[in-house]
Amino acid sequence: MKELSLHILDIVQNSIKAKAKNITVDIDEDDSADKLTITITDDGCGMSEEFLANVRDPFTTTRTTRKTGMGISLFEAAAKQTGGALDIKSKLGEGTTLTVWFGLSSIDRAPLGDMAGTMVTIIGGAPDIDYIYRHKTGKGEFILDTRELREVLGDVPFNVPDVLNWINGYIEEGLADIS
Amino acid sequence: MKVSELAKALELRLISAEGYEDREVTGCYIGDLLSWVMGRAEPGDAWITIMSNINIAAVASLADTACVILAEGVVPDPGVKEKCDMQDIIVLGSDKTAYELAAGYARLT
Repeated sequence: MKELSLHILDIVQNSIKAKAKNITVDIDEDDSADKLTITITDDGCGMSEEFLANVRDPFTTTRTTRKTGMGISLFEAAAKQTGGALDIKSKLGEGTTLTVWFGLSSIDRAPLGDMAGTMVTIIGGAPDIDYIYRHKTGKGEFILDTRELREVLGDVPFNVPDVLNWINGYIEEGLADIS
Repeated sequence: MKVSELAKALELRLISAEGYEDREVTGCYIGDLLSWVMGRAEPGDAWITIMSNINIAAVASLADTACVILAEGVVPDPGVKEKCDMQDIIVLGSDKTAYELAAGYARLT
């Protein structure tokens, strides 16, 4: 995939399929350590140890179950080609945390891509889940918390164009401030 | 062969650095892993890739390729054309695959 945001979309779809109620997407661009770290945490059904052991293997995962595709192995390959790594921790019934880091300045690191559009796609596609999107750079931190949005919106659902457009603009502005 | 002649023969679209197409093409290289291309592409190569991010400008410049050909209908990411215009990096586009483009080049030489 040519942009990291597409990987994030793919992984969050797994969390949604795992019936998560809360999903956190955390992005940390650390110049001094030259690392871009993406952490995706959910409180979904989690994975068994056996499943977890095989989840990076594209053949095992696609052949023995349909729960995960090639997503994780491709994400890991994208990280490894920049000197980075991918780690998954999961417990049945508790949830899953996926952490992946990239060499921030590696020439083989794909651009992050359209994070505003990605979050809007995620929120609009599964509006009953609560999301936190936290993005940190050397210039500051941006946080989107859908629980706060719900308080403001009241009964207005997330998946209507006006709300999604507003969220998109809000994220774009927030990210522009810290880039 | 000049870049302009290659572009005409393979029906390539000129994306950036108009006016520099008299540059000589002396070889051809295909690759998408940029660090790999950086160490292997030769000066004067027509470099065929499907990568479209800003780093292609850096690699084309470092490896001193004659031009970059974006295969399979790939278009440069926002800002890449402008950067390539500034750096006189010729970027061309095609709907053909990397194989078809390289085979086309081979027929011309």
